[in-house]
Order: sequence, then structure tokens, then C-alpha cells
Amino acid sequence: MRMVLPGGLDRSKLVLPILLLAAAVYVPVAVLLIPEGSPFALSVHSAGLFGKYLCYALLALALDLVWGYCGILSLGHGAFFALGGYAMGMYLMRQIGPRGVYGHPVLPDFMVFLNWQELPWYWYGFNHFPFAALMVLLVPGLLAFAFGWFAFRSRVTGVYLSIITQALTFALLLAFFRNDMGFGGNNGLTDFKEILGFELQAPGTRAALFAATALALALCYLLAAWVVSSKAGKVMTALRDAESRVRFLGYDVERYKLFAWTLSAMMAGLAGALYVPQVGIINPGEFAPAASIEAVIWVAVGGRGTLTGAVIGAVMVNFGKSWFTSAMPEFWLFALGGLFVLVTLYLPRGVLGLVSDLWSRAESHRRRRPDDVPQASP
Amino acid sequence: MESLLYLDGVTVSFDGFKALNGLSLVLQPGEMRAVIGPNGAGKTTMMDVITGKTRPQSGTVLFDGGTDLTKLRENDIATLGIGRKFQRPTVFEHLSVWDNLELALKAPRGPFSTLMWKAAAEHRARINEILAVIRLGDRRDRLAGGLSHGEKQWLEIGMLLAQEPRLLLVDEPVAGMTDAETEQTAALLRDVAETRSVVVVEHDMHFVRALGVKVTCLHEGSVLAEGSLDSVSANQQVIDVYLGR
Amino acid sequence: MNSLIRLLAGLCLLLAAQGAAGPAGAADLAPLVRMLGAGGFDGTERAVAGMAEAGEPAAVPVLEALLAGDLHVRKPEGDVVVARRQGAEMALTDPLSGASLGTAAPAVVDKIRINNSLRRSIRAAIGSLTLMSPDPRIRLNAAHAVFKSRDAAALETLDTALGRETDASVKQAMAEARASVILASASAPEEQKLAAIDTLGERGDREVLSLLTGLSRDAAAPAALKQRAASVVTDIEQRMLFWDALQNLWYGLSLGSVLLLAAIGLAVTFGVMGVINMAHGEMVMLGAYSTFVVQEVFRAYAPQAFDLSLLVALPVAFAVAAGVGLAIEWTVIRKLYGRPLETLLATWGISLALQQAVRSIFGPNNREVGAPSWMSGAFELGGLSITYGRLWIVVFSLAVFALLVVALRRTWFGLTIRAVTQNRPMAAAMGMRTPRVDAMAFALGSGVAGLAGVALSQIDNVSPNLGQAYIIDSFMVVVFGGVGNIWGTLVGALALGTVNKLLEPYAGAVLGKIFVLVLIILFIQRRPRGLFALRGRAVEA
Ligand SMILES: Nc1ncnc2c1ncn2[C@@H]1O[C@H](COP(=O)(O)OP(=O)(O)OP(=O)(O)O)[C@@H](O)[C@H]1O
Ligand SMILES: [Mg+2]
Repeated sequence: MRMVLPGGLDRSKLVLPILLLAAAVYVPVAVLLIPEGSPFALSVHSAGLFGKYLCYALLALALDLVWGYCGILSLGHGAFFALGGYAMGMYLMRQIGPRGVYGHPVLPDFMVFLNWQELPWYWYGFNHFPFAALMVLLVPGLLAFAFGWFAFRSRVTGVYLSIITQALTFALLLAFFRNDMGFGGNNGLTDFKEILGFELQAPGTRAALFAATALALALCYLLAAWVVSSKAGKVMTALRDAESRVRFLGYDVERYKLFAWTLSAMMAGLAGALYVPQVGIINPGEFAPAASIEAVIWVAVGGRGTLTGAVIGAVMVNFGKSWFTSAMPEFWLFALGGLFVLVTLYLPRGVLGLVSDLWSRAESHRRRRPDDVPQASP
Repeated sequence: MESLLYLDGVTVSFDGFKALNGLSLVLQPGEMRAVIGPNGAGKTTMMDVITGKTRPQSGTVLFDGGTDLTKLRENDIATLGIGRKFQRPTVFEHLSVWDNLELALKAPRGPFSTLMWKAAAEHRARINEILAVIRLGDRRDRLAGGLSHGEKQWLEIGMLLAQEPRLLLVDEPVAGMTDAETEQTAALLRDVAETRSVVVVEHDMHFVRALGVKVTCLHEGSVLAEGSLDSVSANQQVIDVYLGR
Repeated sequence: MNSLIRLLAGLCLLLAAQGAAGPAGAADLAPLVRMLGAGGFDGTERAVAGMAEAGEPAAVPVLEALLAGDLHVRKPEGDVVVARRQGAEMALTDPLSGASLGTAAPAVVDKIRINNSLRRSIRAAIGSLTLMSPDPRIRLNAAHAVFKSRDAAALETLDTALGRETDASVKQAMAEARASVILASASAPEEQKLAAIDTLGERGDREVLSLLTGLSRDAAAPAALKQRAASVVTDIEQRMLFWDALQNLWYGLSLGSVLLLAAIGLAVTFGVMGVINMAHGEMVMLGAYSTFVVQEVFRAYAPQAFDLSLLVALPVAFAVAAGVGLAIEWTVIRKLYGRPLETLLATWGISLALQQAVRSIFGPNNREVGAPSWMSGAFELGGLSITYGRLWIVVFSLAVFALLVVALRRTWFGLTIRAVTQNRPMAAAMGMRTPRVDAMAFALGSGVAGLAGVALSQIDNVSPNLGQAYIIDSFMVVVFGGVGNIWGTLVGALALGTVNKLLEPYAGAVLGKIFVLVLIILFIQRRPRGLFALRGRAVEA
């Protein structure tokens, strides 16, 4: 039984999107319509929490596209996530309008506080949602494109590439900490009031944000699944294993990497943009290299090179993180550190790999088919 | 007649060590050439130069009359129609045998064309045809990583065929093959050479003899002797540095 | 005049407060202070003379108060107090200690009155207590104070002091002070002023620069004076430019040596062995905490030998970091050879756990690591100011580097490491126990990181996050210098440090760092294998 058919999406790829669609319908209903006492009811808080997990899952999905399929281990995807988040934050900031503490009609509070007289040019246009939405994709995309264009063309690969992606996000971290960058310095952007005219704190808005996140994740998942199962996806898998061989077949490896890299950065930006209205803040901390590396472990835990694994890993690890940080906060870093070590040592294909191994072993046990072929999943 | 491949005065040095030293070689369209020579003679380096992997310090490398290969990147050279089989078999281990061939198949190479690409009936027929030639038909859905060394060699040759190149560079194709397989490979290459040019590097003299083509012997980065196998193997210098006795 | 005296007084107060002579001197002065208020002008005169004779700087504020008319006699007790109006009342303070004595009605205190001759004596006394103090340091400070105040009234005392001065540096300072006073005075003849400009030109610091720049732009000043001032200004500016450049170079060297220290262990583990150890920074941190623990032990058991604590910390830090490194190599890295990205992730996990472990044991806050006496202080070298701490770190980093080079190049151990890392199967075939060599090499790299921690504990906060601050920089240095080339690490560290510091004046610290990061990112793209790349098939594979 083969999971991947040559040149097409197979039905197993629809399971996760359908589940996500179901969640996108169920959660708003559970938050808004089901009375509180019922076992099927959900608090606004949990909806927000799940929404956050799904944003992380989208980031993990983006990361898996480059790491799992192209072999590019990015230690700086948090930068794209944060840039998308900042773009959304700027929109939300401008929606505050004259309701800020200082009551300035245009300038956000932190600018008034810094005695700025007028809005910097790069804040123009962010009062329009479509423009901000475009920037959410464009800013991370362009940065990724420029960075990748240089990096891939000069054939920086492997660990070197990982290290300079880390340096990239580190440089951005330092930059965004500066007040005169005009992004609120180390406080970042916060105190948002409304999105598209809806009260941000209202249960209805929160439920809608969750639904939007689930939908975005489902769509991105389908897009990614379509890409990796296409012939282009096979080229990516191939270049992960033997880059120069792919070149000698006539493929322009750099263009494939650049394509996957930019697409991935845009997904990460989208994840950040969905994240910010749900957590209510974006600050330079999102650029911290540690945050980006943490995202890598989500993918590794779920199973690198399986899109579903990335999603599952992100949700699992972050669920664990929420539990740990409330139950025994001082052990969270031990747990996370241990996870890094154990997964790389003993679970190289992640949870999903483990499950599918166990499942196929049980399967072959049951059937004892002599002509059973190994699955074509990496 | 225009030559298909023209190398003149090609020199490659690594930190002062000259792997190729004023190498010159001319290949006619439709010609098959066997290249022999002791270890470290520069045979693989010559292929690196032709395929753009290594840039020569000096010298001319022209393809098809006028294209200067030293200015092009690997993938551009490959799309010009130069295919290469490596000394160490390299196939895509995490892809199935079928997918390996599909990637090699002559088709548009850009990311957006491959994104939309669908295997048409003719493509599938071609792949099946190649699978029959390399006799991996029953392994088509296996991951290439699970193949034996010899099967990988065959798969790589199959990929080369799928590419439909005008010039094939084949580095030690029969290493790790049985005698019978060696015979088959020789027959296959002769077949291929009907329609395209081939350069074969091989140490196996039986195989070279079975090809029955013009032979070039390299030594220390330049051509030591050229001619029929018999004349080359009678050459005293070749005997001294390579064939022994 | 007043400002001069206040300045001198302030200075002397400072000195008095610092010097051990403070309280004892105050006791000696007490009778003299009481005398100020008794016996009319004559009594005051005698008391002032007595104070000048006692040579006690603590008297300066008293004399200043006297001059300012703040000194009063409190009526029934007859003691001398400083009294200043505070609303309807007078606020009283002790003239010597400055302690508050409460308030009193104006009628209760009598002002000690002075006349012109007394005024002169008081000034002379203040001058002699400072400019003519037996302590050359006080004289020097007094001269500096005159230089700043440019008070013409001090000229007389200054001339006398200059005539008596024997200490060359103090004499110099006094001459400069005199020149500054003369330039400021309206009455001094032009040639004296020209000479003064020259004298000041020799001193050539920022103060002189602003002083002379002001003069050269002063429309009212005579042309000759302006011209001379302007030419001296350009001279000084050039000299300063030179010293500034040197100073920046020194800062760069100093930062470079810190980078070198942080990166040098990585040059072994990453550069030579090819192991990506993201917990490298934590090895540095462990070294710093080892220093802290050693110092605690010294504080508890042998405080008198505290100066030796760093020397003892060196082997301890090496052992601790090497031990932890060995454990990491055995349990994790060994299983991941040839899988660099996985190694990167696993060691990152270890670094998180190590940080948390240290946080649990030592707490999340910065721990205090002291500097031994031989590392504190600074000295001047020409126009450079160099702190001993930084100097030692530069020396130390170069020494560690030299040791490492010797260990790798000249010893059997180094040879085996290089053999194993270059061709593992071959080395194994020749009978080398490659796993052991790997372990030892990794321990060496970690140990060296521990040594770096000892040095860095002197200039950085010792906190669980110490290592995080260095990990990116260290990798940058190693990659920039060229992986596998330990000399490249040296050049890379010094070059990055210098570039960083040279950029800083123009771009600020943060932007400077961002620039450097971006530069490195661009550089790696141009030369993916670093400045001094190794070449060959082994590297490409
Ligand atoms: N990238 C490189 N860096 C340094 N030296 C190299 C490099 N590539 C090749 N060489 C050297 O150039 C010489 C020629 O190597 P080449 O691989 O071309 O020989 P060959 O003729 O293919 O030998 P064999 O029959 O063993 O395959 C060898 O001595 C080799 O060590
Ligand atoms: Mg060869």
C-alpha cells in the first residue's frame, strides 16, 4: 500500500484539513452558543490558546517545508514569523486611532512618548487592512527572497546556512530593540483595540480568529502537500539527499530552494500575523534565536519531512509547554532540553515515524504478505 | 565536421598540484571514447571540468562547436545535453526508482513547470521502457536507497538514458558488476552510442575491449597516448605507468 | 574668587573624606576653629595662621565659610558654627563635619567679621593648604582646579607655589594652570598670552582644545593671538585623531581578544572536529561559575589570599568544563557523528538544560565575581588609557591561543586529533582509538571554553545567560576565520573586534553590531568557507 502516488495528492492528505475545518466550525459554536455548564462548551481563553497552538503549527509547517523537504535547517524562521506579526501589529496599532493614552489622532502612543512629530513613511498604509495583509506576506517573502538569493547562489549550505539564519534573526532582534526603528522598542506593539471594526476582546472575535487560523492552516497544509507531492516536491526531496546530483540532471537547485524558502517564509509570516491579534502583543522577543530553534524541535518531535508531523509536533510540544509552565515552571527547560536530545537520538523520524513504523509492523504481522513494499515516505 | 566536445590546454590545479595539465581532447558527434589511466590521472577531474563542477585555471572547453562550458553552471550544462554518471553511484535514496527516473526524464526543469507537471502516457511509456532496459521493472516502487550497489549503477545508467543527453560522460560504470552485467553494460553503451556521443572512463580492460572504440590514456593530467586499444596498450610509456609488467 | 575657593574646598573635602587623616585632623582643628570666633580680628588672624600651619585640608571649608561670612559664634556656648538663613531662622551646621546642629533664632548667633587684610590672609591660607600643601596629590588637584576656574586672583599664590614646586608633574600642571589664567585675564600682555597658548598646546587635551577653539573664534581677541590659537588647535586635533584611532584600536583588540577567548574552544570542537556544539557558550558559563565558587571558598577560608583566586580558578574551570564536555560527548555527540544538524539540535537541548541547572543551583541573578587587585586600575600610555583588567585579558587570550596551537601542532595528542578528524577510517585502521581521541579533543575544546569563562567573569555579568551572549559571536568568528584553521580564528576574532569598535563611533554600539553581523552574512555568501578556507575533496564531501 503506497501513501504517495506519483504526481498527485492522495486522500490521506485530506484528513488533517477536514479535522481543521471541523474545529473551525465547532470551536466558535462551543464558545458562543453552547451554555457554559455543558461538557461541550469552551471558554474564550481555551479558544485563544488553541488558536495560538495552530499558529505555531503553521510556523512548524513552514519550517518543515524547507527543512523536511529541502534539507535547509533554518534557525531563523522566527524572524519571518515576527515580521508578519509586526505587519499585523502595525495595522492593529493604527486601528487604535485617537483612543490611545495620549489621544493622538494618528501617532501610536509610543511615538508620542518619544516626542515624534509625524508618522514614519513605512507606517503609511497600514491603516488599511488589505495593505497590511499584503505586507504580512510581502515583507517576510521579500526578506527571505533577498537572503536566499544571496545564500543559495553562493552555495552556503548545511550548518553554515543554519548559523547565518541565526545571525539574521539575531541582527533583527537587535534592530527591533532600538527605539528609533519606530516599532516600539523592547515593548513592541500592544494595547490593541479592534480588528476590522470588531472588538478584539469580544468572544465572537476570538472565536472568529480561531476559525480563521484553522482555515489558514488547512489551506497552507493543502498547498504544502500539493507542492511536495508534485514533481517539484520530488526535486526538493532529491536535492536534500544529493544536491549536486540534482544539478547534473539539469535542475537549477538554487531556484528550487529559493522557491521553497520564500514560500515557507510567507507562511511563517502569515502564522505571525494570525498570532498577534490572539495574544495581543508583538515584541522583539519573537526574533530571539532561541524561539526559532524551539520551532525546529516541534518539527523534529512530530516527524520531519511529514507535513502532518510538523503540525502534530507543534501542538504537542506547546501543549506540554503550557502544562509545564503552569505546573512546574522550573522544569520546563529541562523537559525541552531533554526533548531535543531524546528526539534526535532515539526518534529521528519523530512521533509520526514511530507510529507509522509500529502500525506497518503490526500490519505486516497480520497479513504476512511476502511482497510488501516499504512505504515511499522519507 | 564540427567536433562535439573540444578541450584544449585545460589546466586545473589544487593548491599548486596540477590535476589536469594542458589536457587536450576532441570528440566527434556520435563518437564513443574510452578514457583510461592510473589512479589520480585526472579522469574524474576532466569530467568535473566538462560538467562545470570544477573551473579550470586555463584552457578552452567548447561544446557543440561554440558553447564555452567554462562560463556555465552545472545545471545549464546539463540542459545543453551533457549527462553524467558518477564514479560513486548517486541516486536519490529517499525517492522510489520510478521517481528517480521521472526526475531524470527530459522535460522542462524550472520549478513552476515541475510544479504543474503531470506524467503523460508517453512519459510513462518511456520510463517503463527504460525500466525494462535496466531490468528494474519489479523494483519500480521501491525506495532507491534499498537497492544493491549494482542495481544503483543500473538505475543511474537508466537516469542517464532518461535524460536523453547528446553527450554521456560515464565514470567507471561497471565497478561492482558481475561479468555478465559488464557484458550487458558494454552492449548497452554501444547501443546508445549509435545516436549520441559517449565518454567512458574505466579501469576494466575487458570492458574497454568489449566496447571496441578509440582509447585515450591520461597520465598526470595530460594525454599520454591515443588510438586503438591495441596500439595504446602496446605503447611502452602506457605499459610503464599503467598497464604494468 | 568664590568659585575658586568653593572648588578647592570641594576637592579637599573629597580628599579629606577619603584620606585616613579625616577624623584625626578634624579633632586637631577643633580648638583652632573655636579660636576663630574669639579675640576679635587678631584672634581670627592667629587662628587662620594656625590653620595654614597645620596644613590640614579639612580646614579649607571652614576658611571658605569664613570668607563667605557664614561663620558665626553661637552665643551662650561660644562655639563656632556655620549659620545660613532659612526663612526667619538660621540653620546651623558644624563647620568641620558639616553635621546639622538644628536651627536657631538670628539673635542667638554673632557673625565673625573680617576685614581686607584678614581676607588676604584667608586666601593665602587656602592657597597654601591646597597649592602649597605638602601632599603633591593635593597640589596637583588644586592646580587642575585653578586650570578650570581660570581665576585671576589665584595668580599670586600660583606664582609663589610654582617657585617652590619641586615635583615635575605638579609643576607642569601649575604652569598650565597659570597659562590658562593668563589667557583669561584681561590685563596680561600679548606676548605672555602667546607663550601661554604654547604651554597649553603642549598639554593638548580636550579642555585645552575647547578653550583655544573659543579663543580662536573670539572676535574681540587680537589677530596674532587668534592665529596662534588656531594653529595650535589644528595641531591638537591631529594629535587627538591619532590617539583616538589608537584608543579605538585598543578597544577593538580588547573586544577581539574576548571574542577569541569565546571562540577558541569552538575552533577545536567545530573547527577541527566539525562538531557543532551549541552548548559551547554554556561551557564558558560553567567556567565563570567555577570562578565564582572558587572565589566564595577563598572569601570564606582565605580572604587574605583573594588575589590568587583567579589563578586557582583556572584549573578548576578547565576541569569542570572539560568534565561536562566529556560527559556530553559520551552520552550524545558520539552517537551523532556525521549528522551535523542533529548534533546542533541535541547540543542546543543540552545548553537549555545546563542553563536551567545553573539557574536552579545558583539562582537567576548575576553573581558577584571580584577582581583581584592586580587586575584593577588603569594606566596611561601616551594618549591611551588602558585598564589592567583588559590588558590581562588580551595577554591571557593570546597565551591560551598559543598554548592551543602548540598542543595541536607540536604534541602527539594534537597529531592524533588532526589525523582522526581528517581521515577517521584510516586513523582507525592504523590502530588509533578514534572514540577516545574524539572524546579527548572534545574535552580539550570544552576545557578551553571553561578557561575563557574565568576571564569573561571579570568583564561580564556572571548569570545563567552568559553563554548565550557569546554563542553566535563565537560561531561567526570561527566561520569567518575559516573552519578548521585555528590561525583563521585568531585573525577572525581580532578583525571582527576591531571592525566592530571602529564602526561604533559612527553607528553606535547596537547598529555597529548589526552592521558587523550583516557584513559577516554577506561575507559568508562570498566565501562560504571563510577567510582561510581549507580546500580539497574531503572538505567538499
Ligand atoms: N577537489 C580537489 N582538491 C584537491 N585535490 C583534488 C581534488 N580533486 C581531485 N584532486 C586530485 O587530483 C588528482 C586527480 O584526481 P581524479 O579524481 O581526477 O583522478 P582519477 O583519474 O579519476 O583517478 P581514479 O582512477 O582513482 O578515479 C588526484 O591526485 C586528486 O587527489
Ligand atoms: Mg576517478
